[in-house]
Amino acid sequence: MYKSEVRGPLILGDKNYRQISSDIIAPIDQPIPTWWKAVFGISMLAFLFGLVAIYKTVVEGIGTWGVNNSVGWGWEIINFVWWIGIGHAGTAFSIFLLILRQKWRTSINRAAEAMTVVAVMAAALFPALHMGRVWLAFYIFPYPNTRGPLWVNFNSPLFWDFIAISAYLLISASFWYFGMVPDFATIRDKATSKIKKAVYGFFAFGWTGSSSEWLRYEALSYVLGGIAAVLVVSVHSIVSTDFAVSVIPGWHTTVFPPYFVVGAIFSGFAMVMTLMIIIRKIYKFQDYVTNSHLNAIAKILIFISLIMGTAYATEIFIAWYSGSKYEMFTFFKNRITGDYTFQFWAMVVCNAFIPQLFWFKKVRQNLTIAFIISIFINIGMWYERFNILITSLSKDYLPSSWVTYSPTWVEIGIYIGTIGMFIMGVLLFFKYIPMIAISEVKSVLKVTSLNKKEKIHASHE
Amino acid sequence: MSKNHLIGVFDDENALMAALHEVKAKGFEIWEVFTPYPMHEVIEAMGKKTRFTFAAFIYGFLGAAGVLAFMYYTAVIDWPINYGGKPTNAFPSFIVVTVVITILTVTLASLFTFSLRAKIYPGKAYILPDKRSTDDMFVMVFDKSVAKNAGSNLEDILREKGAIEVYEKELVTEI
Repeated sequence: MYKSEVRGPLILGDKNYRQISSDIIAPIDQPIPTWWKAVFGISMLAFLFGLVAIYKTVVEGIGTWGVNNSVGWGWEIINFVWWIGIGHAGTAFSIFLLILRQKWRTSINRAAEAMTVVAVMAAALFPALHMGRVWLAFYIFPYPNTRGPLWVNFNSPLFWDFIAISAYLLISASFWYFGMVPDFATIRDKATSKIKKAVYGFFAFGWTGSSSEWLRYEALSYVLGGIAAVLVVSVHSIVSTDFAVSVIPGWHTTVFPPYFVVGAIFSGFAMVMTLMIIIRKIYKFQDYVTNSHLNAIAKILIFISLIMGTAYATEIFIAWYSGSKYEMFTFFKNRITGDYTFQFWAMVVCNAFIPQLFWFKKVRQNLTIAFIISIFINIGMWYERFNILITSLSKDYLPSSWVTYSPTWVEIGIYIGTIGMFIMGVLLFFKYIPMIAISEVKSVLKVTSLNKKEKIHASHE
Repeated sequence: MSKNHLIGVFDDENALMAALHEVKAKGFEIWEVFTPYPMHEVIEAMGKKTRFTFAAFIYGFLGAAGVLAFMYYTAVIDWPINYGGKPTNAFPSFIVVTVVITILTVTLASLFTFSLRAKIYPGKAYILPDKRSTDDMFVMVFDKSVAKNAGSNLEDILREKGAIEVYEKELVTEI
C-alpha cells in the first residue's frame, strides 16, 4: 500500500522499544548535572525575590504597585494574560492534535502539558493578589454563607474568569498526570534502587498495562480530549470578555475572543518551540524531537502569525470604520503614534513580521534562528497585552483623568518571581518526570520510524 | 484464580497477534495480555468493551443540568438582584459557567470512573506477571488449568508463533 510521506519519520535511528524507554528515562537515572543546579539556584533566587514582592503586596496592599485610578490594571493583568496564553500550548498540543490524530504530537505533548500546568499556576497568582485582600479570596466561591446569603455574580466576566482558570488548571493537571501513569510504571519496573521503585511505584497507581487497563485508558483519553478541546477555545475567550464587555476604547470589540484565543495558542506554541529546542539540545533527544517536528511547529507559527497580523489590521480598520472618535484616538494617536509607539510597533514586528521568516526552509531548519524567533514571539505577545491594557486605560474619554503608568519594583518583582517559578517547575520536570510520553512514542514507532520505512522500501524493490 | 500460570513472552506485536488469533481459534481462554503501549487489535481480540463514553455523556448531562439549576436558584429564587431592570434569569450569561463546569464535571467524574473500573489508584496491589511488559515485551498469560485441559499443546503453539520465552510462574501480588 502506498503511503504518502508528507512528514519525515517521527523517530530517527534504528530504535527498539527498550532503547526508547532507556533513552527517555536516562535523565532521571543520571546524577543531577551542574548546569541544572546553577540554573535552579538562579531561578530560586528570582522566585525568592518574587516572594518578597508578594509579602510587600500582602502586608501593605496594592498601593505598593504603580496602578492608579485610571490605569487600574497594570503589569499584574498583563502578566496574568501572558502566562495564561503560554499555558494554552499544553491543551492545544495534546488535545487538538490528539483529536486530529496527528502522530507527531507524541514526542512533544508531555513537555507542553508540563509547561501548561506551571504557567497556569503562575497566572493564577496575579488575579488572586489583585484582589487586594488575598486572604479573603475564598469569597469568590459560590457557597452558602452568612453574608446574606450573598451569592457571587454569575453575570460577571471576572467570575467566569475565576471558574475558567481554576477548571483549566485542574483539568490540564489531571490530563497530564493521567498520561504519565503508564510511564511511571515503566520507570518502576526498570528501577534498580528500592527507593525509586517505591516512589515511582506509588505514583504509577499499580499500573500493569493489561488489555483491560488500556481499553479504559484509551476511552478516557478520547473522552477527556474531546471535552477539553472546548477549553482551548473557552479559557482565553473568557479572559478576553474581561476586557471586551467594558466600555473602554480599544477593548469594546467583538473581535476580542478569537483574537485572544489565537494569540494564546501563538504564544503557547512559541514557548513549546523554545522549550523543545532546549530539551533536544541538552538531553540529546534529536531522534525523538526531530527537525521535522520543529518544522511542523514553525509552519503552524507562520499561519498563526498571519492571523495575528489580520487581527491587528481588523482592529485598526474597525476603529476607523466605526466613526467613533475615541476609538480613532486610541488606535491612531495612542498606539500607532503617540506615547506608546514603541510598544505598538514592537508587538506588530515581533508577532506579525518576524515569524514570517519561517517561510524560508533554511530558517526553519536553523535551530538557533528558530529559537531566537520563538523568544521574539514571546516578547511580542507580552507587548500585545501591554498595548491592550495600558494604552486603553491611560487615555480614555476624559483628558483630565489621563495619566501615565510605570510599574514599581514590587510589580516587576512579582513578574520576575513567576518567571523563576516557571523555570524551577520546568527544571524539576526535566529531572524527575519522563520528558517524552514513552508509551505514546512506542505506539508510533512501527508506523513511522525510519527502520520501518526502509523495510517497506526494501520489500518493494 | 489459580496461582499457577503459563506465560508467553513476545518481542514483536505481529507475532503476538498471530499467536493471539491462533490460541483463540483453538479455544484457549486467555487470562490477560500485557502490552507496553495501547494496542487496539489486542483489545478487540480480547473482546473487551467499555461503556465509558456513555457514562461520560451522563456525567455531562447531569453536570450541565445541575449547574444551571444552581445558578437559577441563586440568581432568581434565593437572592434576586435588579441589574438595571434586566431579567434575573440571565440565561445567556449563564452559558459560560455552565460550559466550563460541565467540562469539569465530565473530567473529574470520568477520572474517578477510570480509577474504579480499571482499578488504578494510589497504593494498589497489582499483579504484573513479567516486568518486561512495561518496557519492550508483549506478554500473554494463561491460567494453567486451561492450558492442561485442552487437546493441543499450548506451549508449542506459542513457540511456533514466535514467542521468545514460554514459562510457568506463580503470580504474586506486589505493592
